[in-house]
Amino acid sequence: MNFTEVLEKLKAKNEVLESKDEMGVLNVWVSAKTIKNVITFLKNDMQFDQLSFVTAVDLMINNHIEMVYRLFSYETKTEIVIKVKLDRVRPEIETISDIFSTANWHERETSEMFGVKFINHPDPNRLLLPDGVDMPLRKDFKSDDMIPLPKV
Amino acid sequence: MTIKAPFELEKLSNDEYILNMGPQHPSTHGVLRIVLKLDGEVVKDLYADVGYIHSSVEKMCENKKYEMIMPYTDRLDYLSAVNYNWGYVLAVEKLMGIVVPERAEYIRVMLAELNRIMSHLLWYSAYGMDVGALTPIMYAFREREEVIDIIEGMTGGRLTHNAFRFGGFKNDLPKDFMERLQKFIGHFNDKIDEYEALLINNIILTARTKGVGILSKEKAINYGVTGPSLRGSNCAVDLRKTAPYSIYEKFDFKVCVGKNGDTWDRLKVRMDEMRESTKILKQAMEGIQAGEIMAKVPKIIKPAIGEVYTKVESARGEFGVYLVSDGSDKPYRIKFRSPSFSNLSVLREISIGSKIADVVAIMGSLDLVIPEIDR
Repeated sequence: MNFTEVLEKLKAKNEVLESKDEMGVLNVWVSAKTIKNVITFLKNDMQFDQLSFVTAVDLMINNHIEMVYRLFSYETKTEIVIKVKLDRVRPEIETISDIFSTANWHERETSEMFGVKFINHPDPNRLLLPDGVDMPLRKDFKSDDMIPLPKV
Repeated sequence: MTIKAPFELEKLSNDEYILNMGPQHPSTHGVLRIVLKLDGEVVKDLYADVGYIHSSVEKMCENKKYEMIMPYTDRLDYLSAVNYNWGYVLAVEKLMGIVVPERAEYIRVMLAELNRIMSHLLWYSAYGMDVGALTPIMYAFREREEVIDIIEGMTGGRLTHNAFRFGGFKNDLPKDFMERLQKFIGHFNDKIDEYEALLINNIILTARTKGVGILSKEKAINYGVTGPSLRGSNCAVDLRKTAPYSIYEKFDFKVCVGKNGDTWDRLKVRMDEMRESTKILKQAMEGIQAGEIMAKVPKIIKPAIGEVYTKVESARGEFGVYLVSDGSDKPYRIKFRSPSFSNLSVLREISIGSKIADVVAIMGSLDLVIPEIDR
């Protein structure tokens, strides 16, 4: 399956906001409401059976948190990246952990690192961080422990 | 730090109780806490509590120059550090379009395969101790020491080598390298037979591991399990073969798979993989030619704006680096997709219903390294 074929098939069934070729990999932006349908479609109809990871990127200048879902197909050896732009003040998105079990932990990590709320998540507890540290991977994170080294 | 009770206590029936395993427990190989809900000796539920040694590597990397990040990748997994260097180096090289000279690629392959053997040998020793066999470590560490000595001669480091550079390798091979490697390869295959006779084919271990902790292929893929743990479930996925990076297409080796996906199959796959690594090493020794070990790389590393994801087959599975560059000399965002993270998440699924002693056997067969889970 090549690049354009995947995009055509995806566009036929789902709403695609934007798409881009990033180093030979198809990047697709969809809206937060449709994420579950898109991922289900990719898994069931397009043979994308592995979810490599889920993470987010803090785009502070655009006031966005960008969710990144990377999928890989063991059958066709194709990769695809699904991205969702979320509001930085109140980022909320539906969980996909019922589609891919691996998303459970990845979403918990993303949730504590970026403050993204995953709706209907089966286990919305913290994964890695202790209480009191919130959203450290956001660009405007400040902590008393972050002291710059003295200039020599 | 408040520790939330993972199971609601009032939901326990009269026969059930909760057992806390870890964070300091010899079989967890690091700081990992597992909470078990038991009925007698049978595991009813399991909850893995991670994050005890979270060190915010990803955040630190955002504030460091590209060259300064290399040592952090070593320390994600101190047992097969080179593969983690490689994943990171590949990402930057791909973004900058650097082509690595062939000799450097050969050196990288040799070091990575030695590292894989080293990591599997430690796993073998530790697994023996997990299930109560204290002898195997004496045998495996004899050869592991030999491998580490070879690597030390090559890079100067014994565990964290920090030997990769953007565009090549730190230094050329030492003079006695080929001789030592030849000697090692010459007798290592016989030693693997010895290890198998000692532990893997041992009647007590087979009885304890066959049919225990069965992980089906579909479940493994759904949980994002990779590496030997996935191959044990009869799924022939090895990134060196299925998505070859560097010069792995040149080598003739086979992807080792198990049959049933039980604990024993995962052990067997690792033993077979050591044999395949020896095969690759042998071919690399014959194929390596004289030449440059560094490509021409700009003094200041400033990749163009863009993002890239590269993955390598580490000793534990797919290690990936997702790198977002904004054109400056520091990465905008870096995400390490570590294999043990996903491999551990499947533990609950495959342990429920087994005995408590089997949890140790199952957990050992997943070959976890905690610093890469916590990062």
